[in-house]
Amino acid sequence: MSSDKKIFIIGGGQAAIYAASEIRKLDKEASIYILGEENSHPYERPPLSKDFLLNSKQENEFLFFSESFFEEQNINYINEKIEKVNFQNKELVSKNNKYLYDKLLITTGSTNRKLQINEEIDSKVFYLRSLEDAKKIKNEIREIKKIAIIGGGFIGLEIASSLNQQNKSVTLIEISEQLMGRIIPAPIANLVKDEHEKNGNKIYLNCNIKNINKVEDGFEIILDNKEIIHTEMVIAGIGSIPTVDLFNQTNLKIENGILTDEFNQTSIKDVYAAGDVSNFYHPLFKNNLRLEAYQHAQNHGINAGKNIAGFKTSYSSVPWMWSDQFNFNLQLTGLCDQYDEALKRGTSLENGIVYFFIKKNKIIGACGLGLSGKIGRDIRIASKLIEKNTDVDKKILLDENIKLNSLLKK
Amino acid sequence: MSDNWVEVAKTDAIEMEDLIRFDHGDKTFCVYRIEDGYFATDGMCTHEDVHLEDGLVMDDEIECPMHQGIFNIKSGEALSPPACEDLKTYPVKVENDLVYINIS
Repeated sequence: MSSDKKIFIIGGGQAAIYAASEIRKLDKEASIYILGEENSHPYERPPLSKDFLLNSKQENEFLFFSESFFEEQNINYINEKIEKVNFQNKELVSKNNKYLYDKLLITTGSTNRKLQINEEIDSKVFYLRSLEDAKKIKNEIREIKKIAIIGGGFIGLEIASSLNQQNKSVTLIEISEQLMGRIIPAPIANLVKDEHEKNGNKIYLNCNIKNINKVEDGFEIILDNKEIIHTEMVIAGIGSIPTVDLFNQTNLKIENGILTDEFNQTSIKDVYAAGDVSNFYHPLFKNNLRLEAYQHAQNHGINAGKNIAGFKTSYSSVPWMWSDQFNFNLQLTGLCDQYDEALKRGTSLENGIVYFFIKKNKIIGACGLGLSGKIGRDIRIASKLIEKNTDVDKKILLDENIKLNSLLKK
Repeated sequence: MSDNWVEVAKTDAIEMEDLIRFDHGDKTFCVYRIEDGYFATDGMCTHEDVHLEDGLVMDDEIECPMHQGIFNIKSGEALSPPACEDLKTYPVKVENDLVYINIS
């Protein structure tokens, strides 16, 4: 299929580049423009909290595609910030330019929630989402020993793990009673806490921050139980929200992100959305979801590409994500709340522990933790079983000695 | 028999659509049994330091258990991100119910 359509993509991350690549595979003639705010071709974010902080990967070692890819595929990447969108005229306006699109894909991603203490403190807190953020952290930690991380989600924990491995003294403060939110089973969250503490990280749960003061050699974090934590640097990982401010004055339907159907289509004709920013209808779960994960950004972007190129394709991938901390790997697939029962397979980190979440006798989700590589296969099989939507054999799930592969053949 | 052929295991030591880990000297491999026969690749994923022995074999593909990168077992081709560097493959032969790998 080919056309001379002008396709613009606002946002220069993973969903953008995979959508562009897919469009090009299916349409040799369309003009494709990615308008990204970052001064870099799209790159992988997972290494920012791990390999890059640990100095085992350099900048430019985790781009999705080589520099020559853009020329070979005739995909234009423009480092530009769009300031206004006029959907009626199909117009995008930046400081110095105006663009007219035939089809538009929005992949603006999500933005970190910011701490709000006071102006002085807020300006000194570090965050992590972009390469620039990671470089600032790397630069700051060179001369520093004591670091406090606010937020016990995946980002906070991965940073805590990486900084610990750089011999820093790390304290992590989490507001709720367990790490990583309520979708991770409490026993797994506890094992993760144990591993961090075994490695020397201090973890505070159920702690709210009353105030943060600047002192001579760093900061004083005052908790609501009056305890004071002295630190030299504060990094916050307290969640993120979809980046939609550009569209707030338009009639694009927005609710916890840009609403889309299973074909990446938004409420406005010829406008699509994909990745972190999209609150999409999932035909398998018959519900809307917003996912912030690597594989989703990739596959949702590819799906958007197919639809934009004229191939109507439904997106029904089973959600999947991972987190690497120290020498263990945590994985999550499907939905891990609103279940009837949870079945536990395995007893040790060495061989891996997986929880399967069952609803009406079918697997709807799974969460596992184990030494690197140990739980991946069972989680992958769980993803496939979720997709199959068939009744589950609980005996096999519970028995570590029976390989789960047999369940795929039924 | 040429010096480069090394005995791995009995043919029935590997289940269908499955694999075993095979270590030889300071090298490590994965030896697979699929519909089209027996095949062998390097054991370590090219993306990160993980052994593919814990990965899922489906049809003629192996999925890395860490980040779900996918490789073609027969050609070693990296098929799905984050895998982007192909796996090295090795010739395999079956003789008298034994599987051999050619490590040169």
